[in-house]
Amino acid sequence: MADAAALQVLLSRVALGDRNAFRALYEATAPSLFGVAVRILNRRDRAEDVIQDAFVNVWQRAAGYSAAASRPMTWLTAIVRNRALDVLRSETLRAMETLHDAETGETDEPPDDRPDPLGLLEQASTALAVRDCMNEIQSTQRQCLALAYYHGLSHAEVAERLSAPIGSVKVWIRRGLERLKRCLDR
Amino acid sequence: MNYDRPQLLDRLAAEYVLGSMPTRARRRFERLRAQSPAADDAAHEWERRLMPLSTPVPALEPPRHVWDRIDRRTGGNGRAARSSLAAWLRPALGFALGVLATIGVVRLYPEPIVPIAAIVQQRATLPESYVGILVDANDNAVLLASSTRHGRVLSLKRLRPLAVPPAQVAVLWALPADRAPFAVGVLPNSDKAVLSLADTSEHLFSKVPRLGVSFEASSPTPGVAPSPFVLTGHCVKLW
Repeated sequence: MADAAALQVLLSRVALGDRNAFRALYEATAPSLFGVAVRILNRRDRAEDVIQDAFVNVWQRAAGYSAAASRPMTWLTAIVRNRALDVLRSETLRAMETLHDAETGETDEPPDDRPDPLGLLEQASTALAVRDCMNEIQSTQRQCLALAYYHGLSHAEVAERLSAPIGSVKVWIRRGLERLKRCLDR
Repeated sequence: MNYDRPQLLDRLAAEYVLGSMPTRARRRFERLRAQSPAADDAAHEWERRLMPLSTPVPALEPPRHVWDRIDRRTGGNGRAARSSLAAWLRPALGFALGVLATIGVVRLYPEPIVPIAAIVQQRATLPESYVGILVDANDNAVLLASSTRHGRVLSLKRLRPLAVPPAQVAVLWALPADRAPFAVGVLPNSDKAVLSLADTSEHLFSKVPRLGVSFEASSPTPGVAPSPFVLTGHCVKLW
């Protein structure tokens, strides 16, 4: 992937309507962003739609990109994650409605074959050299953070996954985030 | 809910960026973000903070049709590969055909359709931007500087080499009509570069008719006058 300065140049050209720069920006960043979207949605077809929507959004909003506020990859990742989370939430809602209407216990959701999100959090901790600090976060809190960040699960969904009360999950996530902030801001 | 409390904004932004916030709360926070710079800043801060967590996520190559669809949805022709000539010709042809079609329609229905001509005209122009072309003492164009009107990034392209003396830096100055020059930034030593601006172009350049480049010993502090200019040029509004 190109470095931040090169991506900034591309974004500034995209803002001026430069289609070649737009293509170059896509080629430099789409694989990472597609990986992020697939991780959240566990569906390649939905992730493809997310990448499409995100890049159309980038084409329209590139002039509003502020280098002072975000690095290019942070800005792009936020656009993709937010779109993926919106799709995930609407899919979950539809699945619940379908389930309710059909009164059936079966869904056509594909099996979740994504690697353990906690493993990704540990990899990130190691890469950032904050593993010791992260290990001080209670393991349940770490698990909540990983499920929310990598699989896009809401408080209620995390609670269901862990068979825990939603009130406890909210507290774990809040405390986990406070600790994570201290680790990542070191 | 009292959104003026920084701790509350920080917590909401954290849960929004993490992804654990339920749908309705997400919508509420997005509306808040659009209205409150403090909420937007808090979200940016958490996006920056959590971004490294995405690093270990394996990259995946999207199928080729994804780009084709993006290209089509943004006004391209959706073909994955095309010659540079075709890339240049397409907008020109599109514009020419658009003008011809518009002229035809306007001649048939002159009164109500006239605004479409204006729209076609608008589509053929670049976004609202500030642009400067700086020339040397021999009137050779050396530096192109451009920034969208409300952007905070200045794109720079060197059209000719600029020999900066050893131990000095080339500094880009804005020369307002009504006050002393101010430094925009140090020119990076590359043919193409971007400078982050201290404010939007609109705020910085709306009353700046000219730009200049001088050689300085170091990045100038505010209030310091520039050395003699080696490049100068007009700063124009592209709208």
